[in-house]
Amino acid sequence: MIGCYDFCGHYEWTFAWLERQGGHALVREYWEQAIYRDSQRHARELIQGEGFAGMGKYWGHTLTEESPDLGFAITDQPGVFRIDMHQCPSKGFLLRNGLEQYRDYCDHCMGWVGPLMREAGFTIDHEHNHGGQCWWELRPAGERGEHAAPGSVAGERDVRRRPDWAPPGATLDRYVKASDPDAKERAT
Amino acid sequence: MPSEDNRPTAPSPLPYTDTKPVGSADFYFAINATFRFLLTRLGREGWVRYLEEMGRAYHAPANRRWREGRLPAVASYWRTFFAAEPGSDVEVVEQPDRVEVRVRVCPAIRHLRAGGREIVPEFCQHCYHLGRARAEAAGMIMRLAGGNGACCHTYAEPEAALPPQDPAAITTVPA
Repeated sequence: MIGCYDFCGHYEWTFAWLERQGGHALVREYWEQAIYRDSQRHARELIQGEGFAGMGKYWGHTLTEESPDLGFAITDQPGVFRIDMHQCPSKGFLLRNGLEQYRDYCDHCMGWVGPLMREAGFTIDHEHNHGGQCWWELRPAGERGEHAAPGSVAGERDVRRRPDWAPPGATLDRYVKASDPDAKERAT
Repeated sequence: MPSEDNRPTAPSPLPYTDTKPVGSADFYFAINATFRFLLTRLGREGWVRYLEEMGRAYHAPANRRWREGRLPAVASYWRTFFAAEPGSDVEVVEQPDRVEVRVRVCPAIRHLRAGGREIVPEFCQHCYHLGRARAEAAGMIMRLAGGNGACCHTYAEPEAALPPQDPAAITTVPA
């Protein structure tokens, strides 16, 4: 049986398998069709129906179930919904178990959240550091401009204020007002 | 790794471990959706190939333990595995030439039903294709009977000479 206890492990393995079968296009199609439109239909219903309130309901439940030690923070303010992930349970599972078949597991989040937000009328600012830490700011589509300054939305809970956010040699993948999983810039 | 009182702790029978005692049941939604995607996009042959290759590659560390530890390792693995699957009700029975994993409540079928998800009809076959590939990698054989929420997986030494798998013995999940 394929289990849910190690889901992140075989999920990550699946990305690499799909890429060998049909290239990057098939991996993108998988994230959008299987994960966003099928698996995560409850997220779509909540967020398309209720906007920021739906985001709170969806991620409040999902992150608490996946990360019961609360290695994350949610900041819900007028005009922006922000998640700071200090200890991603999903990437953390892979790091602890030495699992890496696909070049960037973290891309899967933008792979399904991107299409969801595009259709729900939101745009995404996001960075991940490949070490189990990331942040997301979701705003109404049409907003422009660069990333908000560290701490300006989440205060001390902003993951970018951690001393280990960007250690020497780390790479940061960043999205600015985006919804496409391939719209990322990489910085070292 | 030693425990807090410095007694050595037994390594988990599972090669991959988590900090949570049980997994998140909503991941069954993604497993079912992955099957639907593969069956639609790559066909049944592609889906079976996916399961077989996952069985040989992703599960290779556990398969090696099975090859070395034989049936006791298989039994220990499944006991620990199902203890981490939320909502399962499973008995693992060890016999001289086989291990029977008697699933009274399949946690995946249970959660998919509770969530109102359309389960792919082939869902229960995945346990056979995956389990057979893993058993063969460990020098054993695997058979499956039942499905749709309750079933029995049998892992056996070749000497058990189990009859070939009857495809009709695996229940199709009704729409």
